Amino acid sequence: MKIKLGKLEFDLKKSLGLIPNMALLTGIAMGVLAAIAQGFFNVQPPVGDGVCAVSHPANLVNWLSNTVFNTEFTIHGIFVGIPVLTPIGFIVGATIAALKNKELRFRKGPVRDNIFAFILGFIIINFGLLWGSCPIRTAILSSYGMVFAMIILASIVLGVIVSCEYIKWKVRRM
Amino acid sequence: MFLIALVIFLLAAFGIGWVLANYLPINIGIATLIVGLVLGYMGQRSRFCTISGLRDFYLVRDTYRLKGLIGIVVGGIIGFNVVKWISGASELPGVPDFPMLAEGLKVEPMVLLPISIVGAFGMAFFSVMAEGCPFRQHVMAGEGYLSGMLYLLGLVVGIIFFDIVIIPYLQLLTLIG
Repeated sequence: MKIKLGKLEFDLKKSLGLIPNMALLTGIAMGVLAAIAQGFFNVQPPVGDGVCAVSHPANLVNWLSNTVFNTEFTIHGIFVGIPVLTPIGFIVGATIAALKNKELRFRKGPVRDNIFAFILGFIIINFGLLWGSCPIRTAILSSYGMVFAMIILASIVLGVIVSCEYIKWKVRRM
Repeated sequence: MFLIALVIFLLAAFGIGWVLANYLPINIGIATLIVGLVLGYMGQRSRFCTISGLRDFYLVRDTYRLKGLIGIVVGGIIGFNVVKWISGASELPGVPDFPMLAEGLKVEPMVLLPISIVGAFGMAFFSVMAEGCPFRQHVMAGEGYLSGMLYLLGLVVGIIFFDIVIIPYLQLLTLIG
């Protein structure tokens, strides 16, 4: 956001230090908004379920399936009557941001192979649902002092390190 | 200056949240949609990603995105305590005491612990290959990335597969465990 005062012109985002710390601010917003959703709007139990990119999409898909096809897939008690719309919000919010900043355009992603991208989504959600949460909710639960979540967060860190080492090993072999 | 911006943001978030919760009939669906919209917007502007944060730090010692993961922990501690203080603990049924360290490792049945560890490890391992955590993939799909959209399609099919194939085995395992 640029502000002009006579001959003086300065960038508000830069002067507030928002640009180098935008990821930090987003992280803090996640923790705070998860607590607000939980405390003010009763998005609980389970604890720390205000923001999740694994269990919320699963709850939404299961809710749709149960409503449309009369299946009996598992949904968190709080989302049985009203569907959770966080995943829709993530997508629409990102679209609005991209549209506003002229970054919205159809393009190939970082995963070049289309089938591989589909398979990765399939595999990751199945692993993610074994634990039942995404790394964001795991970090939120860890911040609440849940020992189980701390062990899982350590497992996520280990998974990233092993994957990086595997990629490095594969590159060296090429 | 960043701290001033942060304090203004926190005051606005708690203030708006409290006003909306007390004076407008907002249900869980709308509340989660608003939370999603705000985070989706911020996620697009910041390129926030938990997995890439860890990956960037491990490979090239870049801390920009790792700060996001640290931010979640900081935000979680601030948010949990402020919301509990504003609402009064008695108005938050089911919310545990902070910190939950005193509860120790409470996993019932115990077989869920190794299953969850394997699940989290696998999710992180493959997320590095997908160039982002599940949240980042939602954002990338919203930005117009084809790989993000296909990832989400795989995610939806994967959820159905998990419901039909994996859950019955998990139920069996938890019965044994």
